[in-house]
Amino acid sequence: MKLKCAAACVLAMLILVAAVIVAAPGASYANQDRESLLAPASTRHPAGTDALGRDRLVRVSAALLLSLAGSVAASAVTTAAAAGVGALAAFGPATVGWTAMLLCDVFLALPWLFLLMMVRSALPLTTSPANSAAITFLVLAALGWPACARAVYRGALSLKTTEWMLYARAGGLRGGQIVRSVIPNLVPLLLPQFLISIPAFVMAEANLGALGLGVGEPLPSWGGMLLELDNSAMLFDTRWVYFPVALLVIVLLLLEAVAGEA
Amino acid sequence: MNSEPLLHVKLNADYAGKPVLRDLHLELARGEVLGLVGGSGAGKSTLVLSLLGLLPWRGGSLSGEVMLEGENLLMLSERKLRALRGRRIALIPQSPMSALNPAISLQKHFDEAWRAHEKHAPAVLAARVQQLLAEMQLPTDAEFLRRRPAQISVGQAQRVLIALALLHRPALIIADEPTSALDPVTQTQIVDLLRRLNRTHGMTLLYVSHDLVSVLQLSDRIAVLHAGTIAESLPVDRLAEARQEATLSLLRALPAPPEILLSFRKPSVRGVHEEPQFQNC
Repeated sequence: MKLKCAAACVLAMLILVAAVIVAAPGASYANQDRESLLAPASTRHPAGTDALGRDRLVRVSAALLLSLAGSVAASAVTTAAAAGVGALAAFGPATVGWTAMLLCDVFLALPWLFLLMMVRSALPLTTSPANSAAITFLVLAALGWPACARAVYRGALSLKTTEWMLYARAGGLRGGQIVRSVIPNLVPLLLPQFLISIPAFVMAEANLGALGLGVGEPLPSWGGMLLELDNSAMLFDTRWVYFPVALLVIVLLLLEAVAGEA
Repeated sequence: MNSEPLLHVKLNADYAGKPVLRDLHLELARGEVLGLVGGSGAGKSTLVLSLLGLLPWRGGSLSGEVMLEGENLLMLSERKLRALRGRRIALIPQSPMSALNPAISLQKHFDEAWRAHEKHAPAVLAARVQQLLAEMQLPTDAEFLRRRPAQISVGQAQRVLIALALLHRPALIIADEPTSALDPVTQTQIVDLLRRLNRTHGMTLLYVSHDLVSVLQLSDRIAVLHAGTIAESLPVDRLAEARQEATLSLLRALPAPPEILLSFRKPSVRGVHEEPQFQNC
């Protein structure tokens, strides 16, 4: 419990620091300092600059915020979809439940990283950066719900045979009312699902970015920043920058995992 | 019209081909309290679910007729049955704690029960809830209504369930062992409350219980359910005429002869002066 609180606090501080860095006057993830390309750390650029002369610290911070915000939104969408599908499957006619669970199985069986790559690469190259970010997280959300929907379905089925459910029927409650009254009982199930989806999506977005299929330039993303790693000469010159990025990803995932433990 | 019974039941029920109720006949007059007694496994719960048309939810099937005010409930569509449950027949369930949805407040329970059958403004509901809570001797403040079921006592939960059952002023209330989960003092209070509701509102009550002592405190007539059928049905003041073994064994199990238990019965609500109250256990 203490560990959880500590992790949540560190996470909150990380977000706050990133927000301060991004919001600082004159800081922008797209600003180019053409005098110093691939510069090492200095007082002007505490973490150096990239090949286009953009401040790495600002970009890492903006990427953290973007990645987290996107993942939280995607996770919310996924959890809501899972709640809807799971509840519908449990309370709808038997054929609906059967079909929904079959659909879940099909989705779970999909090699979803390849599917993500296919979907992203099918989009036109002229997609605007903001759209590419939105689409990336939307695709993640669209592929993330089935495992959660299965869990919700199981949970809702077990609620279906409870005394209070029978009593609610005895009171003449409508089908919709009964499903609605079930949702608060599923919160202990949905909340962890919501929380564990966030780091999974952060990771997935970083992976996609490292393949060049994630959030589009000039928007920063950790995956996109790691993309520069394929040039080993540059990696040798600037390893002191990428090591912190990798460390930050690990720390973030760890913190989220600990904070999300229910 | 008024000589016609409120409820007339002729019923067979089975679970997966195994008969549970066989040729069960039951009649209930308006304003009457019928005590339905029987041991475990006699089919009491099955009968309760059958009357509410809920047996299919537990995987059973029914044949025969359940006539409520001249209308056969078994012939109704699920849609019409739903509109009738809670409005014309209400249930007071057995275990108060598990009958309330643990995740929502008491206020929400009243809201949902109201919305199932009424479209009137919330003000009407608020007034009705206040009236019911007062009648149930429950706190009427908003703080109480904001509580979750886990934050009230079992006795309070049972009173809330009685209030919920009364919400739409149903013609018939089925109480399915409403006191079995309660301590003796609370049991007595709940039995008193049900009696008062019957005397003041003329509420028709089917009181299902295995506890003949509380049944004698409350009922005008008892029906003994044995092996899925009504073995015997008698007014409480003519229990001496009982001939069936099922009835006789129940009477023998009483802590005192029925005449003595009946003499402790409160005659009416208007004589509110406390008489010595018999308590079992």
